[in-house]
Amino acid sequence: MKKKPILRAMQVNKNFGPTRALVDVDFLLYRGEVHGLIGENGSGKSTFSSIIAGVQSADSGSFELNGEPYLPRNMVDAQNRGVGMIVQEQGTIGSIDVASNIFTGRLEEFSKFGFVNMKQITARAQQILNDIGAGDIDASAPTMSLNFEDRKIVEMARVMVADPDILIVDETTTALAMKGRKILFDLIKRFRASDKAVIFISHDLGELMNVCDRVTVLRDGRVIDTLSGSDITEDSMRRLMVGREFEDHYFRSDFVCSYDEEVVLDAQHITYGSFTNLSLQLHKGEILGICGLSDCGMHELGKVLFGIEKSLTGRVVLPQDGTQVKNPHIAVKKGMGYLSKDRDRESIILNASILDNVELPSMRLLSNAVGYISAKSERRLAQEQIDVLKIKCRGPKQRLTELSGGNKQKVVFSKWLGCDSDILILDCATRGIDVGVKAAIYRLLEQIKKKGKSVILISEELPEMIGMSDRMLVMKDGKITAEFRRSEDLSEEDIIRYMI
Amino acid sequence: MPVQAKSVDIGEVLTQKSRRKDLFSAVLPFCGLLLTVLVLSIATKGLLLSPMNLVNIINQCFNTAIVGVGAAFVFAHGGMDFSVGASCGVAQLACIAVVTQLRLPLWVGFLAAVMVGVACSMVVGMGSHALHLQPFIVSLCVRSACTGILVVGCNALGKNIRVPLDVFGIFNNNIVKTIVLVALVAFSWYLFEKTSLGKEEKAIGGNRVTAVQSGILLGRNVFLSSLILGICVGIAACFQMSRSGTVSASSGNGLEFNIMIALALGGFPMAGGSAARIRSMIIGVLTITFLTNGLTLVGLDSEYVSLVKGLLFVVIVAVSYDRSNLKQVNFV
Repeated sequence: MKKKPILRAMQVNKNFGPTRALVDVDFLLYRGEVHGLIGENGSGKSTFSSIIAGVQSADSGSFELNGEPYLPRNMVDAQNRGVGMIVQEQGTIGSIDVASNIFTGRLEEFSKFGFVNMKQITARAQQILNDIGAGDIDASAPTMSLNFEDRKIVEMARVMVADPDILIVDETTTALAMKGRKILFDLIKRFRASDKAVIFISHDLGELMNVCDRVTVLRDGRVIDTLSGSDITEDSMRRLMVGREFEDHYFRSDFVCSYDEEVVLDAQHITYGSFTNLSLQLHKGEILGICGLSDCGMHELGKVLFGIEKSLTGRVVLPQDGTQVKNPHIAVKKGMGYLSKDRDRESIILNASILDNVELPSMRLLSNAVGYISAKSERRLAQEQIDVLKIKCRGPKQRLTELSGGNKQKVVFSKWLGCDSDILILDCATRGIDVGVKAAIYRLLEQIKKKGKSVILISEELPEMIGMSDRMLVMKDGKITAEFRRSEDLSEEDIIRYMI
Repeated sequence: MPVQAKSVDIGEVLTQKSRRKDLFSAVLPFCGLLLTVLVLSIATKGLLLSPMNLVNIINQCFNTAIVGVGAAFVFAHGGMDFSVGASCGVAQLACIAVVTQLRLPLWVGFLAAVMVGVACSMVVGMGSHALHLQPFIVSLCVRSACTGILVVGCNALGKNIRVPLDVFGIFNNNIVKTIVLVALVAFSWYLFEKTSLGKEEKAIGGNRVTAVQSGILLGRNVFLSSLILGICVGIAACFQMSRSGTVSASSGNGLEFNIMIALALGGFPMAGGSAARIRSMIIGVLTITFLTNGLTLVGLDSEYVSLVKGLLFVVIVAVSYDRSNLKQVNFV
């Protein structure tokens, strides 16, 4: 069978300020193909796909769609020409209903004399939702009432409205649990079967291996190689992405469950949101994994443990001196640190420099009796962290808006390492981060553990859970349904049974 | 490898470009000030920079500068106070009432002015913080209440209350004024740029959620910034009434608006955050003072001066407002 190209990119270049995001990128997409796009954070894959989807334009180079020149003016133009994208970030509006979200920007098609026929829109939206296998989402429900995953599914439905020939999926799976993934993969299969095409961006190499016909690897804005068929293996992809061989262990190398008897954090009968009467203990030198589906209550649990949200019953205590963690101020003062799942909105100040961000929890330590902080000491702190964590930047004064996702994540870690936190609560610490930075974070966690510090690792990624934690708590519907100790024989299936 | 060499060069060029852009936005307010001074000097045939007028300028920018540096702390954390003009008026009323009606010593009057200033800014700051209201709305309420108090108070004490200048002489001394101005600006600069107080205020302005999750206490910072602003308003009140010689229903009028324009002209970010600088505030205050003074010298009626200021405000905000915060569209 001779394959027909649907999209061709030639010599595409794009710069962001001082960063060369894309350098002479050539790319060919055939009909009936699922084409993976991988690379470390900042390698240019999101930039490339967003240019195809009309979100931004290239500095130079050209595109051909079905043999005709293709230069989308904006996202709607791209959609009209058959290119739809599901993006990485949350892209639904919470304050309006699901159907209006699905038909955003298309409401005129349903309006007469300025009146919008909501009944018709809701019916059409429900039809689309049913069609992609998400019939359980009510099209007339307010979007705010949906969880993160269902909102992502609403975005998929929105893309399907225009019936695109090319579907671009940008790191969507990181936000999805089992249900959403099934819907997405069914959708992808349907595209392939109907001789359309999919560009699939993901950090999950296993997933890429299963879905993709070909995989193009980007590094520093350049196309490194395109793999196809049996050449697509996790090893080959990892090697090409990073540009060097990986050490043989990616997660922790030992399989020993090890920690001190001393309890450093004690949550007693706490209740908040979807969980009630929940108790857990964290030990010195322990990595405690908490896993479950995204709406099982584990994210709220992390917030309650750090004092951001107030527990309705019981309390969170630090046994050393009996301090009760009532708010983040006390938590930070007592050596705790928290990394939010929603990094850009909750864990960093985007519009401030690396230095400003790193010193946030450390000001108390840097300042003297009258609050004076010397420029030298804060600069030293930031530079130290940049060196230790190998943050790619021009210097401590560079703004976070100019950094890639992985480097921003490193800045969050440096915040808490800089003030020498003893207890770290990490909510999805490696979400949407490439293998290189991921590996660096895993090494870091090992070091933290070795120093006798403790970590609570909240994650939806089971390999990471099994690979890193000493003890694992599995949550379902706000309850702890199982506890596992670190062992070599533990498999994902063992855990999933208690999750769903 | 030629490809490598080329890419390094381009990276360097682009780095310089972005540095130049940063420098440009830092220098722009300076240029605005210089341009204002230059144009108005020519228009007034040098009268603007005559020694006598310069003393005038210092006197005129005095109040805006003092309240401005205080307001910087509030604006830095994303707050705002639109009531400073009215509360400055009430502070003057309190001061004059204490001194002329209760016949208490001047320092008690001064204290009364400061207390009124602090009380008003506290209601705005802590009120909006505790009740989760927009500080702008609360400050409008306080402004309205203060205007009322001022009118009623002035009517009770006889419309235009004369300030006994023999008692208030110290507040009319140019040397005292200069010392107070320099000391306040220097102290504010130190607090704002060099201590955890200023840095925490800016962090809250940059991202409130992140600041709280990093252990920064919101209430404490709102409290301290309101306290600083209130004290500044009180101090400014005493100097202003001594200069004008009377306290009336229009005392303090327009101060809040001058501060807003000064913010915009100086390049002080309206929403606060890490780019906030005391320096920007000072440049802004100087520009707006030169502008007001110069336009009056040229012979423009005060109504037209207001019009020009209003137009300028819109233009400056439209051109310079940092929209990067809006780009992170808040869908939730």
